[in-house]
Amino acid sequence: MALLEIKDLHASVADKPILKGINLTIKPGEVHAIMGPNGSGKSTLSNVLAGNEAYVKTAGQVLFDGQDIDDLAAHERACAGMFLAFQYPVEIAGISNMYFLKAAVNAVRKYQGKDQLDAMDFLDMVEDKKKIVKIRDDLLERAVNSGFSGGEKKRNEIFQMAMLEPKLGILDETDSGLDIDALRIVADGVNALRSPDRGFLVITHYQRLLDYIVPDHVHVLVHGQIVKSGGKELALELEDEGYASWVDEKGA
Amino acid sequence: MLNELRNKAETAFKANGFPTTKEELWRFTDVSRVASAEFSNDWKTSDLEFQPLDKITVVFENGKLSREKSNFDDLPKGVCIGSILDLVDPRIGTLADAQSAFVSSNTAYFSDGAFIEVTDGTKFETPIHLVFLADVDGAAFHLRNFISAGVDSEVTVIEEYIGQSGATYWTNVVTEAFVADQGFVDHYKVQRESATSFHFQTLEAHLGTGSVFSNHAVTFGSALGRNDIRGKLTGEEGEAICNGLYLLKDKQHFDTHMFMDHAVPKCNSHELYKGILDDKSRAVFCGRILVQEDAQETDAIQSNGNLLLSRGAKVNTLPQLEIYADDVKCTHGATIGELDEVGLYYLQTRGIDPVKGRAMLTFAFANEVLDEVKCKVAKAYIEGLVHEWLEQVEK
Repeated sequence: MALLEIKDLHASVADKPILKGINLTIKPGEVHAIMGPNGSGKSTLSNVLAGNEAYVKTAGQVLFDGQDIDDLAAHERACAGMFLAFQYPVEIAGISNMYFLKAAVNAVRKYQGKDQLDAMDFLDMVEDKKKIVKIRDDLLERAVNSGFSGGEKKRNEIFQMAMLEPKLGILDETDSGLDIDALRIVADGVNALRSPDRGFLVITHYQRLLDYIVPDHVHVLVHGQIVKSGGKELALELEDEGYASWVDEKGA
Repeated sequence: MLNELRNKAETAFKANGFPTTKEELWRFTDVSRVASAEFSNDWKTSDLEFQPLDKITVVFENGKLSREKSNFDDLPKGVCIGSILDLVDPRIGTLADAQSAFVSSNTAYFSDGAFIEVTDGTKFETPIHLVFLADVDGAAFHLRNFISAGVDSEVTVIEEYIGQSGATYWTNVVTEAFVADQGFVDHYKVQRESATSFHFQTLEAHLGTGSVFSNHAVTFGSALGRNDIRGKLTGEEGEAICNGLYLLKDKQHFDTHMFMDHAVPKCNSHELYKGILDDKSRAVFCGRILVQEDAQETDAIQSNGNLLLSRGAKVNTLPQLEIYADDVKCTHGATIGELDEVGLYYLQTRGIDPVKGRAMLTFAFANEVLDEVKCKVAKAYIEGLVHEWLEQVEK
């Protein structure tokens, strides 16, 4: 069964149609990349999938692990195994990263019918997972993303993904604002989480990230539609030629 | 001497009566419900329960000290605790603003209160937990507390007010605190009066050179309530920390009036106040900082943040800086807002449902005030009460 099945998806933001008929299927174990210029609808796609209420699905169907996402609120999608790594992770003063993570991990476990982790089991899990993105201990004690650098925030996103062990990881422009070293650490973290039963949707403007997270499929998103799909070589093609030909064709 | 003071106060109270909303300091808080009510002097032992926070508790039931319920017999040398009716200090009544109707009525009619003295050089680590129980419907309780911390001394005082649910009564407290040079008073107030009661407190602190007065006032209860908190910085390098949190729902009305008087140079005063308001509750915050001409190198910071959980809730926040010195660092700020929807969405994408997410964000907002709490038992206790309050509101 497909992990994610998007059929003729249309979506609007503030009554403005952004997505105009997206079709995409991700099977377990696959990494799909969506590339596109600014304003093509990349972030709208990730927000519609994750359940942001500001983004309204107007037509089509999205099945996640066989379930229609219309039946699931944002937190239920997360509990069912969908994870969105934010382009701009949110700062939350007054809640420590550890407290936040424990609440999240146990919320997901509860939904999935698993036992709650006690403090000791939780710490063991943190010790285990923090190696994946080399996150510093002091960042774990600090308030969620408060005063974190851009790179630290993105690492924290991948760390959260490692802790929540989703079925599908959606990375929304995770490479934006990262220098090459930070990019490598984040990409290594994602690669460490690749497995035969987990899929990824990597959304990016630039080909650079795909040098490190090598996709199985690449899709080009322009004006809210997928205009071309191919293998990883499509990303290199785009790097050479840019998006200009598609954007012009559409008469933008 | 005390009798003379009380007679004078009664005369003043009878002549002036209660303030009205025409007076600037009472513009947003209408006390006519208190002014027009008839209160009795009925008394009984209290059936209310309380949780002792440490070894020392001083319990007042319906306005009178209960030796039976209290526990303060085993005190080290240099620490004196008792009833204000039994112990004498010439400074009683000299600090609290005699012009205020609540102070004058208190001075005239107080039935009891705590007297706490730590002598020069005495550092007393055990927090002194004052418990005020109220469960006589229709009664007025006038309570008078006196705290004296000697030179280079240290004392922690937690005032807790607990009321019988559904009872209507009036608690009127005056607490005077004298902190001598290099002294440290760590003071907490936890107000858990009944939701149908009236609660007023005037807290006045007098700070000597290099002394610290720290106050955390947390309010959950009373239909109509007000804290008047006044600090007088009279010696250089004194520090006043006055933080507070008010958690209001239904039609509760709670007012905080702060007055920091910087009379001398090089003093600090820091105030962080936060409020969470649900339903049709209303809060007033007025923070006045006076920096007198001589008070150079004053460092005064004040902020008041409010979170409105409902469209019917309302806040009036009025920071007032009055500065007559030229070399000072003074800032103030006030915010009124709703929960951050982006933060809520972020929590949701991590599996946390909106109800729990709202509770987490709301607690986080309040937690900033509790961060500064030094006394661990007070911190844990207050945090528990905040969680309890939030759980009720979420329901």
